[in-house]
Amino acid sequence: MKFIHAADLHLDSPFLGLQDLPTSLLTQIRESTFTAATRVFDRALAEQVDFVLLAGDLFDRAEQSVAAQAYLIEQFDRLAQAQIPVILGFGNHDFLADRHMSIAYPDNVTVLGPQVTTVTLKLRDGQTVAISGFSYDQRWVAHDPLATFPEHAATDWHLGMLHGAVATGSGDHYAPFTVAELLAKRYDYWALGHIHQRQFLNENPPILYAGNTQGRDRTETGERGAYLVTSQDHRLVPEFFSTSALVWTNPTLTIATPTPTLAEIGDQLAAWLTQDPATTPELVVPTLALSGPLSAADQAQVTSGDWLALFQRTYLRAMQAAQRVAVALRWESPVATTETPQLDTRYWTTGADQVFTSENLQDLFGKLAQEPALADWFTDPTTAPALREEAAKLLAALAGEEDDHAS
Amino acid sequence: MRLNRLTIYGFGQFHDRTFDLRPGLTVFLGANEAGKSTLTQFISAILFGFPTKKHPTLRYEPLDGSRFGGEISFTQGGQDYLVTRVDGPRGGKVTLHNVTSDLKLPATSLPHLLAPMDATLFQQVYAINEPRLAAVFATSKQELVDHLRQVGAVGSDFWLAQASQLDEAANARYKPQGRNPELNRWLLAYRELRAKLDRANAAYPKYWELLDQRRQLTQEQATLRQTLQVERQRVTTGEQRLAKWPIYQQWTALATANDPVATGFAPQDAATLERLVNQQQVTQESLTHDQQELTTQRQAAQLTPLFQHYLEMADRLAPTLATIPDTLVAAHTVEQEGSQQADFQNRAESLERQYAHQGQMPRAFSLATLQEVTQLRQELTTANQKRRRLQQNLNDLNEQFRQQQPTRQQQRNPLADKQVGWLAAGLIVLIGSLFLPSAFLKLGGALVGVAVGYYGAFIVSSGTPATQQTDELEAEIRDLQAQLREGTSATTELTNRLDAIGESHGMADVPLEEWATAQGAIAEWERLTRQLEAVTTDLQAAQQTVTDFQKNVGAILPELADHDLQDQVDQLLDLQRQQQRLATRDSDLSALSERVKRDHTILAQATAAVTTFLQTRNVTDSQAFYQQYRTVQERDQRQQRRADLAHQLGEADLAVLQGVADEATLQATFEQDRQQLAATQAQIDKGNERLATLAGQIDQLTSSGTQAALRQKLADLETRMIATTRRWLVDRLASQWIAAALAAASSDRLPQIVTKASEFYGKLTENRYTEIELTETTLRVRRRDGEWRTVSQLSRGTAEQLDFAVKLAFAIVMTQQVQMPVVIDDGLVNFDAQRRHQAYRLLDEISHDTQVILMTADTAITTDVAEQQISQLVD
Repeated sequence: MKFIHAADLHLDSPFLGLQDLPTSLLTQIRESTFTAATRVFDRALAEQVDFVLLAGDLFDRAEQSVAAQAYLIEQFDRLAQAQIPVILGFGNHDFLADRHMSIAYPDNVTVLGPQVTTVTLKLRDGQTVAISGFSYDQRWVAHDPLATFPEHAATDWHLGMLHGAVATGSGDHYAPFTVAELLAKRYDYWALGHIHQRQFLNENPPILYAGNTQGRDRTETGERGAYLVTSQDHRLVPEFFSTSALVWTNPTLTIATPTPTLAEIGDQLAAWLTQDPATTPELVVPTLALSGPLSAADQAQVTSGDWLALFQRTYLRAMQAAQRVAVALRWESPVATTETPQLDTRYWTTGADQVFTSENLQDLFGKLAQEPALADWFTDPTTAPALREEAAKLLAALAGEEDDHAS
Repeated sequence: MRLNRLTIYGFGQFHDRTFDLRPGLTVFLGANEAGKSTLTQFISAILFGFPTKKHPTLRYEPLDGSRFGGEISFTQGGQDYLVTRVDGPRGGKVTLHNVTSDLKLPATSLPHLLAPMDATLFQQVYAINEPRLAAVFATSKQELVDHLRQVGAVGSDFWLAQASQLDEAANARYKPQGRNPELNRWLLAYRELRAKLDRANAAYPKYWELLDQRRQLTQEQATLRQTLQVERQRVTTGEQRLAKWPIYQQWTALATANDPVATGFAPQDAATLERLVNQQQVTQESLTHDQQELTTQRQAAQLTPLFQHYLEMADRLAPTLATIPDTLVAAHTVEQEGSQQADFQNRAESLERQYAHQGQMPRAFSLATLQEVTQLRQELTTANQKRRRLQQNLNDLNEQFRQQQPTRQQQRNPLADKQVGWLAAGLIVLIGSLFLPSAFLKLGGALVGVAVGYYGAFIVSSGTPATQQTDELEAEIRDLQAQLREGTSATTELTNRLDAIGESHGMADVPLEEWATAQGAIAEWERLTRQLEAVTTDLQAAQQTVTDFQKNVGAILPELADHDLQDQVDQLLDLQRQQQRLATRDSDLSALSERVKRDHTILAQATAAVTTFLQTRNVTDSQAFYQQYRTVQERDQRQQRRADLAHQLGEADLAVLQGVADEATLQATFEQDRQQLAATQAQIDKGNERLATLAGQIDQLTSSGTQAALRQKLADLETRMIATTRRWLVDRLASQWIAAALAAASSDRLPQIVTKASEFYGKLTENRYTEIELTETTLRVRRRDGEWRTVSQLSRGTAEQLDFAVKLAFAIVMTQQVQMPVVIDDGLVNFDAQRRHQAYRLLDEISHDTQVILMTADTAITTDVAEQQISQLVD
């Protein structure tokens, strides 16, 4: 038996955290989710797998992407021509709200219903395999669905397909489950979806997230792909294969120069980016580790993104040739600890404690909380520390100037 | 900052008034409505701006219509300034003048000049009145700290400037109420983009709808195409049928000529017939050949043709030959009967010649008639006696005449022929008798022959007449008759009577005297006549036998046809003998003859077979057979042709065509089918067009990329917005951080303020309360006896005194950072007289450190304050 386990295709989802990119790159980025998914289906055809499991979040319902639907229909048709069945359960992003899709999809596609359904396939070699799973019919599935999964069927193999996350105890909206529950079903394989970072929850029998097929923002770094699973001596052995059309990376570049100018930083960054061309195009979000603080003006330039835009314009060809394009920038510099004559660190710390409270932040954020896009960002737990860090950098820069001023 | 002079153009109840202020304590004494609050408000308004027109009661616009506004002369940092504010937009039109340097300064520099003092701080700390003192209930450490931070007590100009710059930068990025800042604009753009995307997202349901339509349409098309196939087939069939119509017509035409089937005319029958005919022919040929052979051999054997013929006809002759003896007897009978008949005839004729009248024999008399005649004759005999001789002569002559003029019945044979015939017959009998076996018979026969010849030659020839004698006889008769006529008349009557009898019995011509003889002769004649009839019948029968024989012989052997019987018989007998001789003599010839005979047999068989063959088919000859055969053949060919046509038409088509009335119907059906086909085709074309359109629409929706582009734009804009928000937040936070740090630094002054306030509060309460403590949320005081009291536990006056003490302490402690006059507007009304005096003394005391402007209606102040420090508000 041979099948492919993929999940979280997130077709036609926009890439987040990008701005001012050249059109050619944007096009490549826009198509990357499709390219990655195509690699999954290409592999399925090349390996002549027995079936393909898609564990949810094929697309983002909220996006209402025609392109994504058209693409899926087209790809399913390809598989249909090769007589490869597809079993899919929708997840929280593509939850099953209407029956459009199931109607439009070709006959080889089985869309699991909102209740746990078991599909039994008879393979070319005569073996039988049962596949149990379900589709989300709304954004959230708060209950543990494991109870409704059947025991191991009287087939040669029994696979579970589940889009969800391990229960944490509270605020679980994504079919919360425990590994113990999965193991208790004694299935031969659990194909999980929802978590974008591929990972094994158990080795034998394999219980694993396939991860998404294409990283879509700077946090989803590294190669992404799916698993080709083959049977070997009554065991199912998953083998990862990469599908990402673009790979996000966030390496750190140490700038040794004590007080570098932006031009110097630019040169070093460009040289560093282009010295090792990548095989898969990379979207690089480098972190500049500076030995000393930037001047407030430079810092403003960097913070505003103006400098990055200029850098991209200058080095785009070189970066594209090396397939490593810097799409965003982070920097770290030692925070100025210089004591001012009139204002010692004690007061700064006290002040920070007063300012960086969630109440104050929310108060300050005010009406902007009504903007969903901003609110999401704002409520992200990493935002507050980042803000504090950035403010600290700013003040450090200002303190430096004060020193200059004072001296 | 020290206020030197207030010049009012028009504000509240004041117009064109000037108030000079002392550096220390200035007291304005005035009753209610003297304008104490107005003055306080004037200072705030000129320095920090007029309240908006939304709050007209706070604006103090002049009641008398004079010019709204005024000026304040003040000293700050060793420089003298004059600030003028008149009515205008955004808090009024400000003019700032540095009097010391005589420089006009931009209006915007006023807040900087006054910083960190602003309207709020002024109102909350420095402008003290009763309602505000009452607010002490809400006073907390935080509030105080806020005030402290507001003041910027730390005094770092740099940090304050930075904070201010950060705020400005932040304001340039975003203002909650603004429109122009970056983030505000982007939020707007975002909403627009969002709306655009929502519109673009309308493509999504449209897409599904189109897919659904396409699916349905595809199904319909498939159905239609099947229908089309069927209809196309129907049209093709129709076309073929139409093309087959002429063939069908032929087929039909052939069908109408369907004959009843005649059996026995099949080709094998023809073959059989041909075989039989051939066999017949071969046999014939074989026969002919054998006959020729035989002829040749016979010629070699000098056989007469007659014999040869005989041989051929021997079989047929056999019965004829068997009849020879009978025939000879018959011939003999003919001879005898012939002579007997002639004898009877002669005797009858002689009687007829005697008695016949006009060829009619008289009848015999009855008995009465005979007696009458006898009587009459006797009478007549007498009458006729005399003339008997004459009459005798005349009778003789009449007899002669009658002989010369025979009756019509005696005309048939001329006398000569009769003689020759009789002679010939006699000769034949004579010769024939020679063949008779015995000599006696031969003699008898010869005598008969001689008798016959004699009878013919002598008896018959005696009656020969002579015509020349007739004329002489008539002349004699006429002469005699003339002689007789006279003697006759007597006898005429008798004669007439006898004549009448004779006439009635046909005996007119018979003489009366011979009537008796005549009566005997008549009886004799009648007997003869009967005998003659019998003989004639026998003769005819015998003659018939002979004739038949001769006819047979003549038919079989034409050579003997004209021969007489005897000759024929002789010849035949001769031939028989010759054949017998031949049979014994020549076996080869016999064999050949046998073969010929066999050939004949075979030929007969073959012919019989042919005949049978033809008869069973009810035809007369082979020609008729062939005619019928051709007919059958033609019919078969027609049927074959028809079958071919039927095959060509096909069973199904034929069946259908048979159900069709005429070509027009067929054509109509075909046209209808074709139209239906065209309609279906059109429908399919239309469907295809629609499908193409749908495909185009779907392609367009799929490939437009509008959605994706918009989404990416939105995502990018979000990124920008987040970046901007982030920078805005960072700026704001940094600014707040600076303020907080400064406040933290300032809060070090809090113990000083608390200490100072405790001191002031002790003085005001005459040491009834000795200590003030600030907690996080409120403050409390300690009584002299050590008891702690919260603000809420204090009396109104005592509480207000607490606030008063704190505010004054704040003002004094902060003098280093901010110099702002303390303006007290009747704030001490809830103080008792003792504590009010204490307050006045306190104010006087602190006025050494900071400018104090006190407005009061309490004239008791004069006891505590120097007179020169007091101005009367009302002129």
